[in-house]
Amino acid sequence: MPRILVFSTEKISDPAIDLAGLLKQHYPPTVYTISVPCSSGIKPAWIIRAFEKGFDGVFIAADGTDCPFSPTCTEKTADIVAKTQVIMEEKGMDRARLRMAAICSVCSEAFVKHVSGFAKYLEGSD
Amino acid sequence: MKNRIGVYICECGSNISDYVDVEKVREAVKDLEGVALAKITMFACADSTQQEMIRDIREEKLDGLVVASCSPKLHLFTFRNVAERAGINKYNYVQANIREQGSWAHSDKPAEATEKAIRSVKAAIARTRLSEAMTSPVISSENAVLIIGAGIAGMRSALDLANTGTSVYLIDRDHFVGGRTSQWGEIFPTGESGLEVTTDLYRQVMKNENIVLRTGCGVVSKAGSVGNFDIRLKITPRGIKKEAAAADGFAERLEKAVDACPVFVSDDFDFGLTSRKALQPSGGRMPELPAVDRENCTLCGECAKICPGIEINSEEAYEDIKVGSVIVATGFDPYEPSKGEFGYGEIKNVVTLQQFRRLIETGGNRAGSGNGRRETLVYGGNEIRTIAWIFCVGSRQTGVLKGDNKYCSRYCCSSALHTALLARKNFAGIKNIHFTRGVRTYGKMETIYEESSAAGDIFLQSFDDTAPTLSFEGGVTTVKVFDVLTGDREMEVGADLVVLVTGMVPRSNEGLGEIMKIPTGRDGFFNEVHPKLKPVETMMDGIFLAGTAQGPKNITETLNGSHSAAIKAHSLISGGEIELEPTMAKIDRNLCEWCGRCLEACPFDAIDKEEYEGKKIAAVDTSACKGCGMCLPVCQENAIQLTGFSDGEIISMIDALAE
Amino acid sequence: MSQDNEKYDAIVIGGGIAGQESALNLADSDQKVLLVEKDLSFGGKMIHLSKVFPTLDCSACITTPKMSETARHPNITICTYSEFTEIEKLPDGTFTGILTRHPRYVIEKDCTGCQDCEEVCPSVVEDQYQYGMVGRKAAYVPFSIANPRIAAIDIENCILCGACERACPADAIDFTQKTEKTRVNAGSVIVATGFRLFDPAVIRKYGLGKYKNVVTSMQMERQLVPTRPFNNVLRPKDAKVPDNIAYVLCVGSRDLTIGSPVCSQVCCMYSVKQGQLLMGALPMADVTVYYLHVRAFGKGFEEFYQQSRGMGVKYVKGKVGTIEEKENGDLILRYEDIRDGSVKEETHDLVVLSVGMLPNPEAGSLFAGNALELDEFGYVRQVDMLKNPASTSIEGVFVAGTASGPMDIPDSIASSGAAAAEALSYLKRKR
Repeated sequence: MPRILVFSTEKISDPAIDLAGLLKQHYPPTVYTISVPCSSGIKPAWIIRAFEKGFDGVFIAADGTDCPFSPTCTEKTADIVAKTQVIMEEKGMDRARLRMAAICSVCSEAFVKHVSGFAKYLEGSD
Repeated sequence: MKNRIGVYICECGSNISDYVDVEKVREAVKDLEGVALAKITMFACADSTQQEMIRDIREEKLDGLVVASCSPKLHLFTFRNVAERAGINKYNYVQANIREQGSWAHSDKPAEATEKAIRSVKAAIARTRLSEAMTSPVISSENAVLIIGAGIAGMRSALDLANTGTSVYLIDRDHFVGGRTSQWGEIFPTGESGLEVTTDLYRQVMKNENIVLRTGCGVVSKAGSVGNFDIRLKITPRGIKKEAAAADGFAERLEKAVDACPVFVSDDFDFGLTSRKALQPSGGRMPELPAVDRENCTLCGECAKICPGIEINSEEAYEDIKVGSVIVATGFDPYEPSKGEFGYGEIKNVVTLQQFRRLIETGGNRAGSGNGRRETLVYGGNEIRTIAWIFCVGSRQTGVLKGDNKYCSRYCCSSALHTALLARKNFAGIKNIHFTRGVRTYGKMETIYEESSAAGDIFLQSFDDTAPTLSFEGGVTTVKVFDVLTGDREMEVGADLVVLVTGMVPRSNEGLGEIMKIPTGRDGFFNEVHPKLKPVETMMDGIFLAGTAQGPKNITETLNGSHSAAIKAHSLISGGEIELEPTMAKIDRNLCEWCGRCLEACPFDAIDKEEYEGKKIAAVDTSACKGCGMCLPVCQENAIQLTGFSDGEIISMIDALAE
Repeated sequence: MSQDNEKYDAIVIGGGIAGQESALNLADSDQKVLLVEKDLSFGGKMIHLSKVFPTLDCSACITTPKMSETARHPNITICTYSEFTEIEKLPDGTFTGILTRHPRYVIEKDCTGCQDCEEVCPSVVEDQYQYGMVGRKAAYVPFSIANPRIAAIDIENCILCGACERACPADAIDFTQKTEKTRVNAGSVIVATGFRLFDPAVIRKYGLGKYKNVVTSMQMERQLVPTRPFNNVLRPKDAKVPDNIAYVLCVGSRDLTIGSPVCSQVCCMYSVKQGQLLMGALPMADVTVYYLHVRAFGKGFEEFYQQSRGMGVKYVKGKVGTIEEKENGDLILRYEDIRDGSVKEETHDLVVLSVGMLPNPEAGSLFAGNALELDEFGYVRQVDMLKNPASTSIEGVFVAGTASGPMDIPDSIASSGAAAAEALSYLKRKR
């Protein structure tokens, strides 16, 4: 099963991922989470490291419009993704192995759908 | 680097251990470098376990702590506190979430859940090894609170805070205080009128020297953070000179001026049942001063000619205030049915509960008094005898009821039955027929339901899957329903008036949520962090919720929430200082080559420029930095680290999870 | 009686969620608080619940950190197994009363909670904390997440054999302990004495006590907690895993025949919750709820109720008349189906009676001369519900939680905020 690293955010997407568990909405157990204060603070180098260490995919569960820090969060996170995908292409990696979506604090279903769909995609691309 | 870490793996009763093989987890981590001991516990959070951890930390000279249990949302502070009490820095504690993101999420695959738990605990250990001791910066806080909304919730919170010595700015965008409560007449269970209640609170507010009340006032912007919010207020002038209003003969002149005002607008105070002028007398509301409705005033000046003291041309004003905390008490709006929803706006005898309240409480809707007979209720020129009440309009919109409001509005069942009883008591010949979806007169309000049944009100309960339908023919409004109480037969009732028992929706608030950056829930109301752990707190530190801004509540429940918000705000800021999270950006002075990108990325203006060994570099303003990390990825030189989320810590976690 | 008057800013009577919340609010505002709990552990009813609606957080996860916070707060002193009574108001607006500490026959500071005494104790009685479903010893730690988690000797059931005394590694057993009384003064009083559960044995037609497979909702609650006695849901008569469970709502509520006219406000929702938990624990089981009205009124409640319908919990609008037992222990419910007015029968293998709340009579007798007024239902009377909801008939005495009427946990917490805020205002005004 493909391994996915999720960067989630302490105040917004973490609660949604927790909620998925609380409601027993299952998703692949090879999905791991590292939480950070805000999705706009993720360094491309961290993402690249995850790929180098063997993760098949990286999913950014972004704050989106719920970001408690700034309304510009969505664009900023998107910038990080774009920047990282350039590096990925330079390294010959499939850029689709990095995905992002805004996950609000109660969007547990959306989270499950996203990571499950992502896992399917990664499985197919193996 | 931490070398004596204590690891505790929680069974959470069986919540974790039913799916995650905790013994296997312990086996997998107990001999890792840096781990001094690894234990399994039934309830890591129990006081006895906490004591045990403290003992272990002291006796085994541990330097780091990992608890693998539930989400850190629940117990991060609990265990940080344990670390602190035992004498190690609380930031040398890391929590691994093996319940919400482990046993529960993967209860379908126990073996894999165990594998995930092992990696998660390894990652937590790796992070703890590199964790640094941090001290929370302490900032000074302003012993002042801004309360937005001067309804019953806002005034209650204001009085509490002012009574304990905190300065309060109490604002309302309306020119009159009292909010929705002031629009309500006799209230269960005491029989006081809403206006009496709000007037009493208003008088206490005015007597209290710690409260500054601003009406016609809204929030334009917010900067800063807990302890030191910088708020810009915009004040729409009332258009009346206070001194002029005290002059002899003002009341008569005002009356003439109101007559002269050519602008008619629908009167919100009567829920649109009547109209009013752009120049509004207080009409018993507080403050007892008229106000010019600037939105609708055409600036014709007729009123000012008749009544000196009216100033229609005065300018809007701005005021900047500094407060330590904010309480949002913006209240609710009654649900406005869409045109045609149960005949609303199409059939003339259809009103909302709120409109019906005003109808029976304002004079002029009566006929046939005298000779000891009670008057009859009149609406639209017709005498009203049979009233059909349709419940859950705008609430519980599931199944046949279309709409987005899935929630129950809580107060309407009791309020409608109480109102129906009042109508019965005050007017002759009233017959109430209730079309309900199950009467929810919870608690002591059950007595209203009993009284209502005993008085002869008729209850018909529609099925969840068939809504009552309305038709209007020959001057009679007919309500049809399949009634569960009479064995699923179609019932028809002809009614003189149909009252739609409309629930609560969040009050329109001109983007206040955006300005305050506080989230709303699926129901559109502002959301608390947790209904039991942090019931009046929002995601934004220092911003609290009071009253129905948070969700439907009755008056007593609103007051309970307001009192709670007040005492939480008080205990947070009244000491004059607040401990902050120490997570913040740190500049590597040697690497930084000042390009200004971090300054651009920072939403808090927390980046300054400074000189260092002959070059310009960035410096972080620690009281402004909120630790979001937005400056990290934009730095070309990788010269910024976030404390607690350093490259070392994150990469060690990635490596452990990937292993 | 000890002559040294202890002094506090506030005394909170009752250590349930309302009492803790009140105490924490006041303590965080720099007031010195004495929290008095009559039971061996504080934590009230909430600590014994499984998961709580509508978030399905486990109750212990929410209560235990609050209990820890309360227990270690520098401004809070806790006296468990104690009572505060004979309270009088003094002319200066402060209060005085008698604090009675009952002996637990165990030296609190020495006991480590090792339970060695429990092991050797020969006397077995019904465990009140498991609602009689299992036994406990006369020397016992009340329950696994008790606070303080130390032993006590139930002297009424103790045969004085001395085995515990010999077994105790900490020499903490002390049979010479006596009841201690102290006079305590305080600036204000918060009454958080909670509620009593209705005992459905008085409704004989439901057969509780006679038919073993009729249980109360609190007994079911205990079967659903992580620390549950059987580690499974079992029906009592033959320890069979039930597969057709019925809930009877409004038992002890909305019922004038037993003198309890009010709605208990929580039974619908905890039954909805238990239904969801049972569907999770016993996926093959049918759960049927017999109701009059489902009162899912609070934030997120209606959604939670709809969710349970979606999961397959069956709701029947019907009034249950009688329950009879079949030979195999199954139960026949006779009920009036309100949908068509007919009387029907249905067989279930376990019946849960959703019991309601009753006022705790202790609230009325705390004050000398029963000075604290109660309302027509026996709850502490709120004298100013529309402006100061925590105020009682005695100025300076405030009520928190279910002492003033049925409430769920969020409402109890909110009302405790009110009691603390009004007490703080009172204290500041008097200074």
